[in-house]
Amino acid sequence: MRSAPARTRVIPRPRLVMMRSVGWLCVGSAALLSVLGVVVIGTVPPGPGEPNLAIMHIVHLVVGLIAAVAVAVPHYRVAQRVSYPLLAAVVFMLVFVLIPWVPEAIVRPRNGARRWINVLVTDFQPSELAKIAWVLALASYLRFRENYRKLVGLFLPLALTFIPMGLILVEPDLGTAMLFLPTLFAMLIAAGAKLRHLALVMFIGLSLAPAMYPLLEPHQKDRIKAMAAQVVGDDRYHNDIGFQGARAMTLAGAGRWTGVGRRHAAALITYNGLPEDHNDMIFAVVTCRWGMLGAMTVWGTFVLLCAGGLVIAAQCKDPFGRLVPVGLVAMFFSQMAINTGMSIGLMPITGMTLPFVSAGGSSLVSAWIMVGLLLNIAMRRQRYLAREAFNFDGRDDP
Amino acid sequence: MKTAKVHGRMFHRRLTLLSAVMAGVLVLLAAQMFRLAVVQGAARYERAERRLDLVRFLPTTRGRILDRNGLTLAVDRPSYLVAVEYEVITGAWAFEQAAGRARSEDRAAWDAMSPPQRDAAVEKHLPGFEAEVQQVWSTIMTLGGLDRPGLDRRLDAIKKDVQTTAAIVWDRQLRRQIRFGRGDVDPATFRPRPIREQRQAHVVLPGVTDKVAFAFRRAAQHLPGLVVKDSHRRSYPWSEADVPLERAGLPRALRSSDPVTIRVEGVADHLLGGMRDEVWAQDIQRRPFRDPVTGVVDRGGYRVGDVVGTRGLERTFERRLRGERGVLRKRLDSGKEDRQEYARGEDLQITIDIVLQARIQAILAPGFGLTTVQQYQAGWNANGTPRETGLPLGTPLNSAVVVLDIENGDILAMVSMPTLAMGPLAPEPYHDDGRRWVNLNRPVQAVYPPGSIAKPLVMAAALTEGVHDVTVPIECTGHYLAERRDIARCWCYRPPSFITHGELVADEAIARSCNIYFYTMGDRLGMTRLARWYRRFGVGRPLDVGLLYDVTAPDGTTSRRGESGGAVPSETLIERLRGRGELRFASVIMGIGQGPVSWTPLHAANAYAILARGGAVRDATLVRDRGRRNGPRRDDLPLDDTVVATVLEGMRRSVSEPLGTGHHITYPDGTREPIINVEGVTVWAKTGTAQATPAAFDVDRDGTPEVQLDNPLHAWFVGLVGAGAAGDARPRYAISVIVEYGGSGGRTSGPIANEIIRALQAQGYLPDDIT
Repeated sequence: MRSAPARTRVIPRPRLVMMRSVGWLCVGSAALLSVLGVVVIGTVPPGPGEPNLAIMHIVHLVVGLIAAVAVAVPHYRVAQRVSYPLLAAVVFMLVFVLIPWVPEAIVRPRNGARRWINVLVTDFQPSELAKIAWVLALASYLRFRENYRKLVGLFLPLALTFIPMGLILVEPDLGTAMLFLPTLFAMLIAAGAKLRHLALVMFIGLSLAPAMYPLLEPHQKDRIKAMAAQVVGDDRYHNDIGFQGARAMTLAGAGRWTGVGRRHAAALITYNGLPEDHNDMIFAVVTCRWGMLGAMTVWGTFVLLCAGGLVIAAQCKDPFGRLVPVGLVAMFFSQMAINTGMSIGLMPITGMTLPFVSAGGSSLVSAWIMVGLLLNIAMRRQRYLAREAFNFDGRDDP
Repeated sequence: MKTAKVHGRMFHRRLTLLSAVMAGVLVLLAAQMFRLAVVQGAARYERAERRLDLVRFLPTTRGRILDRNGLTLAVDRPSYLVAVEYEVITGAWAFEQAAGRARSEDRAAWDAMSPPQRDAAVEKHLPGFEAEVQQVWSTIMTLGGLDRPGLDRRLDAIKKDVQTTAAIVWDRQLRRQIRFGRGDVDPATFRPRPIREQRQAHVVLPGVTDKVAFAFRRAAQHLPGLVVKDSHRRSYPWSEADVPLERAGLPRALRSSDPVTIRVEGVADHLLGGMRDEVWAQDIQRRPFRDPVTGVVDRGGYRVGDVVGTRGLERTFERRLRGERGVLRKRLDSGKEDRQEYARGEDLQITIDIVLQARIQAILAPGFGLTTVQQYQAGWNANGTPRETGLPLGTPLNSAVVVLDIENGDILAMVSMPTLAMGPLAPEPYHDDGRRWVNLNRPVQAVYPPGSIAKPLVMAAALTEGVHDVTVPIECTGHYLAERRDIARCWCYRPPSFITHGELVADEAIARSCNIYFYTMGDRLGMTRLARWYRRFGVGRPLDVGLLYDVTAPDGTTSRRGESGGAVPSETLIERLRGRGELRFASVIMGIGQGPVSWTPLHAANAYAILARGGAVRDATLVRDRGRRNGPRRDDLPLDDTVVATVLEGMRRSVSEPLGTGHHITYPDGTREPIINVEGVTVWAKTGTAQATPAAFDVDRDGTPEVQLDNPLHAWFVGLVGAGAAGDARPRYAISVIVEYGGSGGRTSGPIANEIIRALQAQGYLPDDIT
């Protein structure tokens, strides 16, 4: 045996990517939810001539996974650099769908809503992309500033939010627009904005909300009315404006603890005429088929996803990398809470998908892009910074 | 993840805060889910499951109504109806089909067309579809035996009906939308939704036979919008009958050796009632098919499209006759069927003998002559000149008859003339103004002053109360009050001769119907005791033979209709009369059945039956199985046998001896002919000529009355009949007859009673061999 060679000091080259990261928890939860989505969508088999949405979900899932990988590979600072131009592009697209003279071949309104751009292979919803672009842009904006710790400093982040949110609201897509505010608040809270300022803004917003009510579309008012009636047990709207909500609640409750199984659930859903059973109302299908147990599983998986995201934020040192996961988690959580909430009668009915589970290409792909971003941040080696981001302890100056 | 050394504090605190908020939201969601799935889970599962069931209700069959011998009086017969979709009726169908054809021919071209071009394209296809619609109409006309104007009339009626309904519904929709918050509704832009009737098929030919229905079913395969449905038709086999009647026993003017056949329509239709095809809100409110609160289905409840009993027994026994629907439950996912058969409505047997009823109805028919104004009814003066008849000769008069089996209270016949088939329905509420209102069931609904037919009852009361001794005569002085010759007179005390009856004992007083005698009885009994005795004889309350029904007024008060109770003075009325100083006079005239007392023909027959039973009360019965009470009762009258015997003797003499008011008709040539001329029977009867309120008559029915009667008289004849000769016979049946404004009870109603007795005999109710 040869003697040992002269001891050379090997200084390992710092690895830029760490495969072992909490990001996989997010990927795992998202994958679980996506597979669950395929199964749930397959609950009610497609009728003759109808597309098989479960298979389409698998196709979209593959596209989503590719997109996630594509997003996860380049360092997330790239995302930070492109965030403003990306937001500008998205805002342009949001304006584009609203232009009335754009031919219907490109922007085809559905049910009076102009949300989709036809990109040959599929229809694409700019609002889905807007959610991501806006989170990135807001994180970019907040990362080195402190002025949002003053009341006036909150103005610009709010303005930045209202541009895409307002455009989405006119499409109209109340559901997606509703996601922006909780996400904004979550990011501001994480960034260290003063809670009393946020409380004040929230208070002003809530006091203005009743004044906004007359501006709502009649069908939106109806849905709020129907939900209010439903909460107090008044069933007078069950056959018109409250139909969807009432049916969803009935089916959600019908699952009881463990659900009624696939065949029975399919029959119940079909003959109870649950609308949007593959999309907005998919949570009612879950609870009908697997009952309370199914609901807890979905919520639990979302908790894992969100917890993973928050741990990624906690572990990250740099300000952009801290805020983006918080924004994405807030986005996921709000969407999940609103969607499941409206299925069980806690929220008015708005068009809103359940991330990963609902059928719908744009929704699934954008959700996986968000997971890709989370993974991206989770896997990067942390740089040591002079000062850790967003820690204003002891500096509670006026 | 070795690097997970957490630095800093604030950011992580903030992350913890966010986690806490999310946890709070999750708790809220989970709590609601728990409420839905666990607390309300079973109920929600039930509700979801219910929508898997397709429920169809199967029609039921209404129970029959049978007479005492089991003859069918009302029955559901299967039939079919032919209906046409409303869109075909309006012509909208042809236009829509043509538009659809034009659109599908060249989709792209259609999209590019301007409205006038589209109209032209539709126009091209229209004739073909219109021809198909014409085919529908010609099929209906050929198979249904309709002519074009007849069909058009029906179609117009349907269109008008639907349009009226739509106008009402849309108006209500609009008002409701304005009222309930959707405040931005502008009447100008309000877009009404089509009402259900506009999407339904409407009946063009009801009650089609199976043969015709089969032909329609074959035709319907190639024709648009033609629907043939099963249905039931309520059928009344006795709605028409031909009754042969002897005329040999009639008064001279009507007598003939040839029998006559009288066609009667609607035998017992007052009793049986009828059906309406329309369900009213009140019906649904009373017995909803689906409970509006709990949603529970009552298979016998009402829903639109049902038929409802609307009058008579069909109404009062609606619940029993109606039956319950069957249910066909189909499980939508598995296709399994669960069938619950319908429950047929119960049959209803009544005590009426329908053949006897038809005979009596024929006797009362104007065509037979007894109920039209005749000279013999008014009579002739001593010099042979005819007396004033009041109404013109030949005027038909309203009348009513009740025949009661004394032993058990069964009502064998109960006839009201005119019948429903004979004229216009009276407006509600009914006023007895002497006109020929047909929808009044006179035997139980119309109240009249008893007049002299009350005298046997007053006699029984006076003798039982001991206010008069049967052996002590009373002298008829012509007028009861010594100081007044113009009121409280005897009927015989009138110009020019002012005769009186002289001294009378009890039975003769009844036979001659002396007023003075019974004024005395009334005076001695006094109002309170008279009222009590009238009540004991059943007056003052409906006898409830099964025709009573409740009516709820819009203000929520309920009243009972269908049978009248008549009137007996109440304590308050007695006090009021006493206060006005009129009590004695009222008691006096109540002794002869005038004043504040009234009753129905059924009350009269029932009171006479009580008398004939020696005071025993039995429920007058029209419907079997209503829990009849037999045996001695607390309300039996304490009548002594000798009292009953005296009263009956007076009644027998009334028709059997020349001095009786019901004995004979005197003709201008001086000959007398007996009123009761049926052989082999004994009759105990009392005539009554009751003062009615002044009334005006529209004899020629042109809408304006031309004859005014200031002192009109209702003609009563109430009696008992038994088989065999006097002395052997016992009363078997009580008969009460009234002819409104008929004048003399003996001469007008007596011959009718005579023919009724003949009818009873002919029907075997008075066999010759009974002694």
